Amino acid sequence: MTWVPERLVWRVLPAAPAAVLLAVWAIYWWIERPPPSTIPSIAAVVWIYGEQLLNGLLVADIAASLARLLGGAALGIVTGIAAGFVAGLHRPTAEFFNPLVTFFNAISGIVWLPLVIGWLGVGTALATFLIWNTVFFIVFQNTVLGVQLVPEVLELSVRTLGASRWETLKSVTLPGALPYILTGIRSGLGFGWRALIAAELVGANTGLGHMIFSGAEYHRADIIVAGCLAIGVIALAMDRWLLVPVERRTVRRWGLVTEARGN
Amino acid sequence: MMAARAFRELRILIPFAAAIALWWGIKDGIGVSNTLLASPAQVWTAFVYLATHGVLAEYAATSLQMIGVAAAISFALGVPLGFAVGTNRYAARALEGTLRFLQGISGIAWLPLAILWCGFTHTTTLIVVIYTLIVPIVFNTMTGVRAIPENYVLALRSLGASRLRIVVDVYFPGALPSIVVGLRLGMGYGWRALIAAEMLVRQGGLGDLIFGARTFNQIDRIMVGMIAIGILYIVVDRLLVQPIESMTLARWGVLRR
Repeated sequence: MTWVPERLVWRVLPAAPAAVLLAVWAIYWWIERPPPSTIPSIAAVVWIYGEQLLNGLLVADIAASLARLLGGAALGIVTGIAAGFVAGLHRPTAEFFNPLVTFFNAISGIVWLPLVIGWLGVGTALATFLIWNTVFFIVFQNTVLGVQLVPEVLELSVRTLGASRWETLKSVTLPGALPYILTGIRSGLGFGWRALIAAELVGANTGLGHMIFSGAEYHRADIIVAGCLAIGVIALAMDRWLLVPVERRTVRRWGLVTEARGN
Repeated sequence: MMAARAFRELRILIPFAAAIALWWGIKDGIGVSNTLLASPAQVWTAFVYLATHGVLAEYAATSLQMIGVAAAISFALGVPLGFAVGTNRYAARALEGTLRFLQGISGIAWLPLAILWCGFTHTTTLIVVIYTLIVPIVFNTMTGVRAIPENYVLALRSLGASRLRIVVDVYFPGALPSIVVGLRLGMGYGWRALIAAEMLVRQGGLGDLIFGARTFNQIDRIMVGMIAIGILYIVVDRLLVQPIESMTLARWGVLRR
């Protein structure tokens, strides 16, 4: 392959699997003509995007899902960090709650759906609860770890220089624990997004999860594939443009606790 | 000594006793209706009923079997695939983005399509759980292989080792800690995907148990199922996955540093 510049190959390589997949899909569909309830044509999926963009359904579903994720995750992050600080700073509290956290973490998220659907009914409140429940435990556990790993020497030295307890928390403990907290938020959002889609399959009348589940009810594979691709794109976009930059920036700024070890 | 140790083991129960007391207080103190929350006594009665009639064991066995089969298949397919991708930098470059994208589409999102293809069957559930489990395994195998210092491979090759020998003696042990992390992560995702899939497929399993109880407003049974799901997950994670993880880390984890 000497006639193709090496650099060009390297650049287009990430697109190769998608291109191969699309080609196989197109050829298979062209030869086999499967019924639309099993494998849709590429054109049908594109058509769904056009149709649903025009009638506003796709935007409404995406907006509903994102709003639930945002609400549930914000609640989970705030409560997780707050509780994580309390447990991280006070060892007996952490030890007391540890077995409970292990247990409730094991049943976090979708497992609550059958019970909570009776409390909150179908819709946004239910989905928000399930996301909060999922995100909370991951952020909590990472915050506790981060807070406990801040060397006490650093906190004590700032205290001896006359800083108040609050100031020490703000300028030593929080930045020290931040890399861990952000890792927790990042993986919490990943779990939360999964929990949301699962929750919306049965527990909502809007959102991307509901969109794909209605596709199964109407035997419309084109709707399902379109919905799944949208779910993947949103997850990827969230990770790449929101979480990775935030993580990188804060780790660069405050990450000395972890970074110093490598060099 | 023994007594002190037994006490320390038993102390784990104190938080649970406190939680149950709180749960009981909320239930009876506020007088929450039986259609919203069952009392600990009601849950115990339901548990005894489900356990003595073999219902709980049957549903739990279905779930455990599913996650076991899914984990075995995912491991058998995912690790070789991860090696293939990880040892070839072109393949790694080509597939990394796609794998990340697939990881963003949770297995449960493919459930509606799997239902269209395979109906409401165990196959549908398996497709969803294997998809969920295999992506982290492939991904972490790939990352593990790529983190192995090339010198190890070159050293063995210069001594005349075959390609198979290099895979067995360098790639596999070197990547194993990372593979096991992937397996553990995958089990966490996979167990949840399994419960969710069982709720919708309704062919047995603990997800079916709790979702089926919902239709009859049997809150006590829902809560028995939830507790069983939690305990089983902890048992599988602590007695199976975590020991493997610490074993591989103790034996081969040095390579990663």
